[in-house]
Formats: sequence, C-alpha cells, structure tokens
Amino acid sequence: MLLMKMLRVRRKDPEATVVEMFSNWLRSGKVAGLLVPAVSKLGIAVPVLFSDPERVDNVHPFLPVMKVNGASIVAEIAGGGSSGVRIGVVLKPCEMRGVVELIKLQQVARENLLLIGVDCPGTYKLEKVKAELNDSKGFVRNFLMEQGRYLNEPNFRTACQMCEFSVPLVYDLAIGFLGLDPGQELILTAATELGVSLLDGLETVDIAEPPKARVDYLSELSRIRQQQAVEKIAEFDRHALGPERLVKYFADCLNCHNCMKVCPVCYCRQCFFESEVFDRELDDYVRVSRRKGLNRMPAGTMLYHLTRMNHMMTSCVQCGICEESCPVGIGLTVLYKKVSRNAQAEFNYLSGRSLDEPLPLTTFREDEFREIGEE
Amino acid sequence: MSFEPRIIGFLCNWCTYAGADLAGTSRMQYPPNMRPIRVMCSGSVDSVYILRALLDGADGVFIGGCHPGDCHYVSGNYKTRRRMVLFNSIMRSLGLEEGRVLLRWISAAEGKKFADTVTEFTERLRKIGPNPFKHLWEV
Repeated sequence: MLLMKMLRVRRKDPEATVVEMFSNWLRSGKVAGLLVPAVSKLGIAVPVLFSDPERVDNVHPFLPVMKVNGASIVAEIAGGGSSGVRIGVVLKPCEMRGVVELIKLQQVARENLLLIGVDCPGTYKLEKVKAELNDSKGFVRNFLMEQGRYLNEPNFRTACQMCEFSVPLVYDLAIGFLGLDPGQELILTAATELGVSLLDGLETVDIAEPPKARVDYLSELSRIRQQQAVEKIAEFDRHALGPERLVKYFADCLNCHNCMKVCPVCYCRQCFFESEVFDRELDDYVRVSRRKGLNRMPAGTMLYHLTRMNHMMTSCVQCGICEESCPVGIGLTVLYKKVSRNAQAEFNYLSGRSLDEPLPLTTFREDEFREIGEE
Repeated sequence: MSFEPRIIGFLCNWCTYAGADLAGTSRMQYPPNMRPIRVMCSGSVDSVYILRALLDGADGVFIGGCHPGDCHYVSGNYKTRRRMVLFNSIMRSLGLEEGRVLLRWISAAEGKKFADTVTEFTERLRKIGPNPFKHLWEV
C-alpha cells in the first residue's frame, strides 16, 4: 500500500508547514509526542521529544546535522516493550534503518512508534556549520532550497558522501523534498493505514507516482554517491589491507569502546568485551606476555574490532557515528561501509530495508552455501 | 628446524569429536599439530574464539561439525555455515583471508576423513607458513 500526495507549502515555508502538521497530530491526539531534531536558543543541535503543540519554534525536522543516530535515542526511550503510548519519531533514512534493525532484534516495540521518514541528502560535519546554527531557520531554509550542491558537498560527513539512501526505506509516512521546489510543495507518502490516517485535513493533491524531476534527481544523487563510495573504498584498500597494514590502521585504539556505545545497532545490554571474561588477573597478563615476549597495552584491541565486525556487520547501517565518536580518529566509516556491504551482500540482505526480511544470522536454508564445509 | 603449524580445533561433541575418537581407536596415523577442544555444537563456536586463537598466534583454526541435516540440535550446523560465510566475507574484505580457518563436516563414523583432514590442513598450513599475527606483538 502506497498513497502519494503533494502537500501545498504555506507562505513558502516548508518547515513551518510540516511543523504545523506535527502540531495538529499532537492536538488531535494521534501521537503523544514527537521525537524530532531541534536547535536550542543557544544554537545547540539535539533531538527533542516535543509534546506541546505550541512550542514549535526550535523544531527542525529537516536539520542536516546528526550528532547521534536517532535509532539509539529511540532504543533508549522506547525500548521497554509495549507501553500503550505511541510517539512519532522523525528520522533520517539511516536512523530509520537502525530502528528497523532494532525492531527485528526485538529491542524496540513497533506498536509504540509512528515512523516518520524524511529525505536526507546528507548531514554536515558539525564544526563546519556550528556558527550557522545561531540562525537555524535561515540555515535550514537555505539547505532545503539549494539542492544542486548536495551532489558533491565536501562538508558533509564522510558517511553521507558515500550514502546512496537519501529517502527512507521503511516508514508509516515519508516526507520528501528532494528534486522538488520545497517553497511550493512537498511529497507525502503513506505506506500503512496509520500513515494514511495522518493525512486527514491536509491541503493535498493526489498523485499516482513521484514527479519525474524527483526521480531523476534521486537517481543522479544515488549514482554520484555510489561513485564516491567506490573511490573511498579503493583508497582504503590501498593502505589498510592485510595483517600488518590493518594492525597499523587500528594502532591508536584506546579500547574506549565508544564505537560500540554510540552504535545504533550494537544492542547488547552487556557487551561481551565489558564482561567478566575480560577482567583478567595480573598473573594472566604476565603469562601471556611471557608466551609472546611482550603484550601490547591496552590489550585485545584488535580482537575487539574484528569480533565487533563479526557480531554487527549484518545490521550495520553505515551511518558513520562510530567514527565521529572515536577519540583517535580511526577511519571506521569507510571500513564498515566496505565490510558491512560485502557481508550483507553474501546473504542478499540490506540492513533496514524491510521489517519482513529475517536477520541473516537468525535464519538459514538447507540448500544454501553447500560449498562451505565441503571443500 | 622446519616450521610446524599449531592448529586449534573446535570439535562438535556428537560427530567430529567421536570421529576423532574413532581415528584414535583405529590407530590411524595423523600429524600431532592440532590441539582439540570439545564443544557441544559447531554452532556454539562464536567468531571470537576463532579470532582470539588467530590473534594469539595459532597458525590455523579447524572447526568440525555434523553433516548438514545431522545436527544433534537440529539446526546448529546450518547456523555455523552462515556464520562462516560472514566470517570469510569479513576476512576477505580486510585482506586477511589466507586459508587459516577450515570448517568441515565429519561424522562419528568418519575416522578416516578426520585423520585425512588434519593431515591435509597441516600440509596446507606448512605451505602457507607461520601466522603473521604471531610476530605482530602490537595486537
């Protein structure tokens, strides 16, 4: 089920039009609250859970900044099982993919959520736009209007420069602006009954398919991003492959586990690497160093990274938040882009593409991979 | 002195471990390079065990399980198989795939296959040479 409508933008202000729609959902009780990006009066960009339909000044559903993957926030606030309250979560495509994975991993209850997806051509490196956040309205307005520059924007985060998913894949309602004139109209797509119910009372025009300009724009954006991913992965391959170069790649790791803590799909309550298994006694360290001659400290960083890849790569949504959180700047974004894409391709799987596709490691077919174990 | 590879073997209790037993009681000769570890199912061998062995200097890791369809726990080895596909893919993406990890289905009746597999794997590792991670103390 897909119902598409063009939404008329009022006063040439796409953001205000959308926020007004949000306020109406809150007034009519369709949602108890909305998780949505915002910029505070001090110029601080953070997601907020807003429930007061009058307090909409700081809300920016299209804000091109992502400091935390929203799926992590959703897991934190809506991870307690079905609660009888439904909130709307306004998420960028990679955040939505994270939520889809978390729903499949049974970390978030679908029935607590109204999934609102927004187009995202990329998000800026924070340091590049910090000053502009003081005028957040103007910043977002310019961002929505000047779509030509997204194709090759060097100030976007590395993950975004390689991202070919600029529109949400799973949603109740999707709000699109790419390839349109957002001063005039936005595109709304409802994919569920719930999504359709949100369209009541809006000034819309039904359409059968998206406008050609939008289709063309999205395919061009996707093509350029795939090209950029190929280039960045080729660069990674030149200096990171093989045991020695990989050890160098991870050489500065402090074992802080930030990459695990901020990862939207790293869902274990107790990470194996922070469990008692790794509470080793001094004589154990001494024994290892005697056997090896000497032992790197902090110990086990390579084991941590390689194991983390084995545990998470089928669900990685390639959002790159791990690299943002790395205090020593290890290039995790490109690495995970390559590793996770190849791993998911083995199972013909794409993280966050569908709620119905089973997670690759929770399912199997008897007649697959017959060469494994038989060589 | 010639290089003798050190292999860590994870053997499923119900099939491959019994197969190893059969090889022994049948007095079959095979290289003594493998240190066997009995596990209840090949499906219980998390990647972390394989990686830890390799990063700590084992030259090879062998995983032995029941033939597909014969798992004592019905589907453990099908999951092992998927996990190996993932493991191999990751190692390939990082340029680490050197043939140091071998999964094979060996039943309790296949003592000869067990002995042959260990012989063949030991030969292969002799050719590949020592695991480079043994000397990269940084890891």
